[in-house]
Amino acid sequence: MGLNYYQIKKNILRARKLVIKATNTAGSGHPGGSFSMAEILGCLFNKHLKFDPQNPQWEDRDRLVLSKGHAAPGLFSNMAVAGYFPESEIETLRKFGSKLQGHPDLKCPGVEFCGGSLGTGLSYSVGIALAAKIDSKDHHVYTIIGDGESDEGQVWEAAMTASKYKVDNLTAFLDRNFIQQDSYTEKIMPLDEKLESDDITEMWKDASRWKTGDKWRSFGWNVLEIDGHRVEQIDAAITKANATKGVPTIIISRTIKGKSLEHMEDNPQWHGKAPDSDVVPIINSELDSQFLIAPSIIAGDMSNLESEVKRCVTGRSDLIHLDVMDGQFVPTKTFDHNKIKELRPLTVIPFDTHLMINDPVKHVKDYIDAGSDIVTVHAEVTDESSFGEIHDTLKQNQVGVGFAINPDTELPEWSHKFLSTLDQIIVMSVVPGKSGQKYIEETHSKMARLNSILNQHNFSGCIEADGGVNIDNIGSVFADGARAFVGGGAIIGQQDVRAAIKDFRNAVLKSRRRMLLDKANQLGGSDLVNKWIGLHVIGAKQEEIKKIAKEAGYL
Amino acid sequence: MNDPIMTDMRSEYSKSLIQVGHENSNVVVLGADTTDSLKTSGFGKQFPDRFFNVGIAEANLVTMSAGLAVSGKISFASTYAIFLPGRAVDQIRNNIAYPSPPGKKGLNVKLVTSHGGLSVGPDGGSHQQIEDIAIMRVIPNFRVFIPADTIAVSKLTNLMASEYGPFYMRMARSKTPLVHSESQEFKIGKGITVRDGSDCTIAACGITVRMALEAAEMLEQDGISCRVLDMFSIKPIDGEILEKAARETGCIVTTEEHNIFGGMGSAVAESVSESYPVPIKRIGAQDMFGESARDAEIPLLLEKHGITSFNMAKQAKELRSKKI
Repeated sequence: MGLNYYQIKKNILRARKLVIKATNTAGSGHPGGSFSMAEILGCLFNKHLKFDPQNPQWEDRDRLVLSKGHAAPGLFSNMAVAGYFPESEIETLRKFGSKLQGHPDLKCPGVEFCGGSLGTGLSYSVGIALAAKIDSKDHHVYTIIGDGESDEGQVWEAAMTASKYKVDNLTAFLDRNFIQQDSYTEKIMPLDEKLESDDITEMWKDASRWKTGDKWRSFGWNVLEIDGHRVEQIDAAITKANATKGVPTIIISRTIKGKSLEHMEDNPQWHGKAPDSDVVPIINSELDSQFLIAPSIIAGDMSNLESEVKRCVTGRSDLIHLDVMDGQFVPTKTFDHNKIKELRPLTVIPFDTHLMINDPVKHVKDYIDAGSDIVTVHAEVTDESSFGEIHDTLKQNQVGVGFAINPDTELPEWSHKFLSTLDQIIVMSVVPGKSGQKYIEETHSKMARLNSILNQHNFSGCIEADGGVNIDNIGSVFADGARAFVGGGAIIGQQDVRAAIKDFRNAVLKSRRRMLLDKANQLGGSDLVNKWIGLHVIGAKQEEIKKIAKEAGYL
Repeated sequence: MNDPIMTDMRSEYSKSLIQVGHENSNVVVLGADTTDSLKTSGFGKQFPDRFFNVGIAEANLVTMSAGLAVSGKISFASTYAIFLPGRAVDQIRNNIAYPSPPGKKGLNVKLVTSHGGLSVGPDGGSHQQIEDIAIMRVIPNFRVFIPADTIAVSKLTNLMASEYGPFYMRMARSKTPLVHSESQEFKIGKGITVRDGSDCTIAACGITVRMALEAAEMLEQDGISCRVLDMFSIKPIDGEILEKAARETGCIVTTEEHNIFGGMGSAVAESVSESYPVPIKRIGAQDMFGESARDAEIPLLLEKHGITSFNMAKQAKELRSKKI
């Protein structure tokens, strides 16, 4: 059951946009905390939660309790995407007569808990979990608690009780976004250690300051600590939690309040405030422009790919790009599915398997079984029939479907019918099979041609740029429409992979900021440009964006 | 009057819980480190899988009861009155009363407390809950009972187990005199005329019902015919029986172990003032807290607040002169 990571992310994006639409229409609400838990809810709704929108009271459904009830827009948006009610209904949020109340309410079929008064959801969940045990039911209870609400003593009363009664059919998530209504949690009531400065990244840098996990461990819980915005980590943690017997599990998810929008991220002001209508189109563009960095490990030490994978892990890459070459489709030979199988246990970071092999249809199952999260095959070695088979096999196995074209290949006509369900298109900007090549400049104009075809055919996947992408050209490649970037020598070839990835991200960010400024200028001239800049109050963002606006001649 | 037969409400509650536990496997019982005192531990011995002692954590007690109830269980959560409405009102409101599944009002939780009112005695003012009726009756979807004796406790426990929805029932700590017969029927929102009369009415609840009957005897000796009502169902209150009493007897004295503000007396006054206004006198805690009193001294403590048969009779006499 469930969707692949690409589809999950697509639904998370849809839900985020609905949160913006809902809170904007309502004129109030809590986008910040809805966004910090977006990946958690997305992963639950799209992969793990058993439910039936047609029969919300289905007895054997899993129960989702949103204890941090103010993040209701996040819950309702996921429910809309899941089909509990039409997405258009999200605009009734907080309005008189709507079932979408300001806080989650049983008035909305499918909602399990009336939230609002904080600190009570875990006790309620323990009650539900105990009822399931009495009735010998095997459904699971998932509870999302906030870090701010962990100030409430009742959370800890419930924690002790869950431990006493061994409710292993309960999994809690702590949405650890470090922000509560008044300010940073570590200033109001520290869960980890007291924060001295105003820079909360300080807390992220130093794991020795994290005490929250210790608290839960000492209460007898199984504690898993993850990055709460990484779908693969959430997925793996849920699987682990469900397999843990005899104790309840808490997944402490380090998250960012307002995640995905620069002006909301880590900004306490966006705890409970709705975005203005004039910035909503810019916000939606920003949401559409999330991006992924995918280091290609064959650019490293081919004799020790394990070590290259580990470098990607410490470098915090979004994907690991695996170039499979057979020495036939391309002159070089790298590795096959057996190697991927060996590498798989090293990390949960998604494997972005790029098959540069002849007859991919014959081998695709091997690459699924090896643990690929997406498999991309080439246009040059597939046709409508073989690609159709590959496409269906991948979908059936919840693996992403990718399609690649070489520099001198145009998108074949026959592929158009697949475009709307593709997860990824790789646009090769070098000739595959040789290392150290330069980005082929003609790719920029090819991207323009490609974008118009993709738009026509409702492509909603991700364009991955592969070949010669580096710190100098990545901004323009992003501007062309690419949202995933394979880095060979420019990442793996560097001493410090983490720094190289960070540089990649910053370069993309700069290009994205420019794109959003262009949009602001186009929609509302210098007034809107200034307003947009003014929203970015945390850290050095404002100055950086101002600089870009000046360069663009907007200021 | 004959010397009363004194029986223990908590023992009766325990017995009734075990009975409803046998009849309905969905009944679950929760306690908060007072399960021996409340005698709910008896249920725990019979049905260990349906009994939860959450320790001294009343907020958790209330919300867990709600979680069990939303999953189809019939939750009975019990501890001392002072620690439930007095302590966990947010959880009572937001986790039990407010959440309403389709077609229902509130969740299926019964909060049953002991040690209500001033007659708690030696533990003192910190433990004498004289605000619970006011707190509980203002919360939508809750129904509120104060039983006068163990017969009422037994019948109301059974009634709550079979009737969906949130209920609050407050029992007394000490043994209480029997005032009802085994055949007495108890219906939600229906008061009981325990003694008929035509010159005045005393509306009582809990331990004051017996006192009111004694007051009525005193009045009878003075040639005054006093009606006595057991208003065990404080919410919903029996507007019909009160209007009838107002019309037929012309004045009503109320009496309870609760602050005169917001309690049963207030509920009676609210009802009568809308149906058939007559003079009313409220006897109860006069907006002041209780204090320690050894068991034998509890009558003195009650007397300090005017909760005596003598005062009820006195107030009834005075009120008659104010009849319209």
